[in-house]
Amino acid sequence: MKGKYLIGALLILGALGYLIFGGLSQSLTYFITPSEYFQNPAKYAGKRVRLGGLVKPGTVRFNRDTLELRFVLTDGVAEVPVEHHGTPPALFKERQGVVVEGRFKGQTFVGDTLLVKHSETYQPPKEGYTPEEVRKLIEEAK
Amino acid sequence: MTPGVLGQVGLVLALSFALLGLVLAGYAWWARDGRYVEAAKRAALFSLLGALVAFFALEWALLTDDFSIVYTVKNHSTKSPTWVKFATLWAALEGSILLWATFQALYTWLAARGLRDYWMAPGVLGVLFGIQVFFFAVMLFVTNPFLPVPNPPTEGPGPNPLLQNHWMMAVHPVLMYLGFVGISVPFAHAVAAMLARRYQSWIETTRWWTLVAFGFLTLAIFAGAWWSYEVLGWGGYWGWDPVENASFIPWLLLAAFLHTALVQERRGLFKPWNFAFITLAFAATVFGTFLTRSGVVQSVHAFTEGAVGPVFLGFLLLVLFVGFGLLSRVASEVRDVGGVPLLSREGLLLGGALVFSTMAFVVVLGTLYPLFVEAFTGDKVSVGAPFFNSVFAPLGAVLLFLMGAAPVLPWGRVDAWARRVLLGMLAALALGFVAALALGATVGVALGVGLFLYNLVSAGAQVGRAVAARRRQGWGAALIGYLTQGRRHFGAQVVHAGVALAALAIVFSQAYRVDVQKTLNVGETAKLAGIEVRLERLHAFDEGYRYVVEAVVEAKGIGTFRPRLNYYKTMNAPLAAPSVRYGPTENYYFILQAFDQDAGRWATLRLVLTPMVFWLWVAGGVIAFGLFYMVLPLGRSRRSVPGGEVAA
Repeated sequence: MKGKYLIGALLILGALGYLIFGGLSQSLTYFITPSEYFQNPAKYAGKRVRLGGLVKPGTVRFNRDTLELRFVLTDGVAEVPVEHHGTPPALFKERQGVVVEGRFKGQTFVGDTLLVKHSETYQPPKEGYTPEEVRKLIEEAK
Repeated sequence: MTPGVLGQVGLVLALSFALLGLVLAGYAWWARDGRYVEAAKRAALFSLLGALVAFFALEWALLTDDFSIVYTVKNHSTKSPTWVKFATLWAALEGSILLWATFQALYTWLAARGLRDYWMAPGVLGVLFGIQVFFFAVMLFVTNPFLPVPNPPTEGPGPNPLLQNHWMMAVHPVLMYLGFVGISVPFAHAVAAMLARRYQSWIETTRWWTLVAFGFLTLAIFAGAWWSYEVLGWGGYWGWDPVENASFIPWLLLAAFLHTALVQERRGLFKPWNFAFITLAFAATVFGTFLTRSGVVQSVHAFTEGAVGPVFLGFLLLVLFVGFGLLSRVASEVRDVGGVPLLSREGLLLGGALVFSTMAFVVVLGTLYPLFVEAFTGDKVSVGAPFFNSVFAPLGAVLLFLMGAAPVLPWGRVDAWARRVLLGMLAALALGFVAALALGATVGVALGVGLFLYNLVSAGAQVGRAVAARRRQGWGAALIGYLTQGRRHFGAQVVHAGVALAALAIVFSQAYRVDVQKTLNVGETAKLAGIEVRLERLHAFDEGYRYVVEAVVEAKGIGTFRPRLNYYKTMNAPLAAPSVRYGPTENYYFILQAFDQDAGRWATLRLVLTPMVFWLWVAGGVIAFGLFYMVLPLGRSRRSVPGGEVAA
């Protein structure tokens, strides 16, 4: 009798463990900047990624009818062209810190969610910033 | 006298009397002298008065635009409407702690008044005063809202605009803290019970407090979801954000405790589980504050303030140490004798409690997992909603299954009536499942429909049986007798029906959500998700404390919508205020996404259809009604009556 319960409990625990840890490894989303991506592109190929950086001035193109938004995301060292479908959030400025969630398709990053990082304290970084500074800035902005 | 000085005086008074109460309670315990208990009870009143003085001092500063203290300088604006000024007290960290501490003082006083047990009283008072000392000390020494400002400005930034956008935000934190603080009372009794080695009576004395705390937490969570839906403008109501999780973890653990406490009350079983669950539930309220205030995890809300983090972490460890330290000391005395049959009410109740606590574990894990990954690999990761959803869907289904079955079973066994009702419930489950599949639903939705019907049959059968047991009085009298004397039984049925309804609403709103967007010229008509939508007008106006851009949208056959973007002076980004219309099945939700900033000729509109979300709010009300119905002080709930005997 006791053995039967033990087997049942083990089965339930196993299913739970699979559910939880399988789910965790599948739905982990990496948060990287463009230069981190270029250090190891293979690691992020086909995976869901949150790409953070600044919107490079002069690169924003928005088609109001197809709602297609294109811009270049930079962390001061490396840059990635981004394609995002759907309206940009109301505040979308050049040199703004943004986090795009999506996947790499070839050289382009195709995003489906776009978060604009803004706060009262937000200041666009000065020239000559490093990826670490950009990253810190994005993380600390509310 | 300025508000700052008065506030400081209030805090010092509250802390001194809480400390005095702690010492008196400790001495009462050591000397076994009831007179010191009475003195400690009086200290609770004076500590409460001190807390109220501090509370009113802060309101005084806010309502009279006094900028001589840090709290108003950081969070207040003269331009806010009066209700916002009033609610600004709990819009930021220092004020929230003050509200929390004031409630703690209030609950300590209320709980102290009801203390009769000579053996329990010193322990209960000691723990409650200890918690109170912690909060007032944090306020005086770590996050003091009353610190003077040398050169007072004449205007401040005002509270976070997100909190000004909806009246619900004035209510939600109050409900949350009423719930959080409520958990401290059963926790204090549990500690006292382990100290005094009186393991049974505390369950009954704290039942009222547990249900009240659970009711307020439930209301707070639904209010938060509603706020998220109507204010945050992202078209959803739950995003598994750390702030949301922080409120959900104590709720889950308290739910687990409620169900095992019921078994101990009636059968004397599960004592260790109850001590563990209530310790975890109380620890979770502290953990939640640590999580959201320390900045250890990123949150879209991110009301982070650094210094408080370590203090709360220390307090969290202390709570866990006290709870589990005592439990390990008495473990051999509280262990259950003999086993519990799986197929019995207590077996399924334990199963339900284990599912609740597993859910709590999953939420903690998902919230903290990014920290572990970063610590070990250096990678920055986030765990998204898909993880939580994929784990909660099956666990939720199991929970709904147990919820229907447990109250139908008698204690300790299965009887013929339970077998018949279970058969009916399973038939309803199968029928709903197959019918929904035939109508084209997915397996998940069909299971949701089936489990909803299954639980309705369960609740119906139990209410029917309880009323029928009194039918000798005539059916009308039987019904009234049941509703007044079987309040716990009826309340539980209402809560369970509400949970089933909430689950159904969640399933439908997730499965059949439609989210579309389109850019329209002013005057243009287009079809969005099959609905004829016309952009009538796009205009802007000034509301004093904010600047508004509003689109007037006519949806054919549904009505006029006015989604807006609110621009606050303190934020360099606008906040989207959606325009929402609820219907019995469909819910329309318009958001103004973007507009022509040069000439005002076009606007991009987003339409989100979330079926049945209206019923989610109804379900929240139903659950809270059921919980508060159980604790209503209307006459006495009798257990000797048949309806009471089957009572859950």
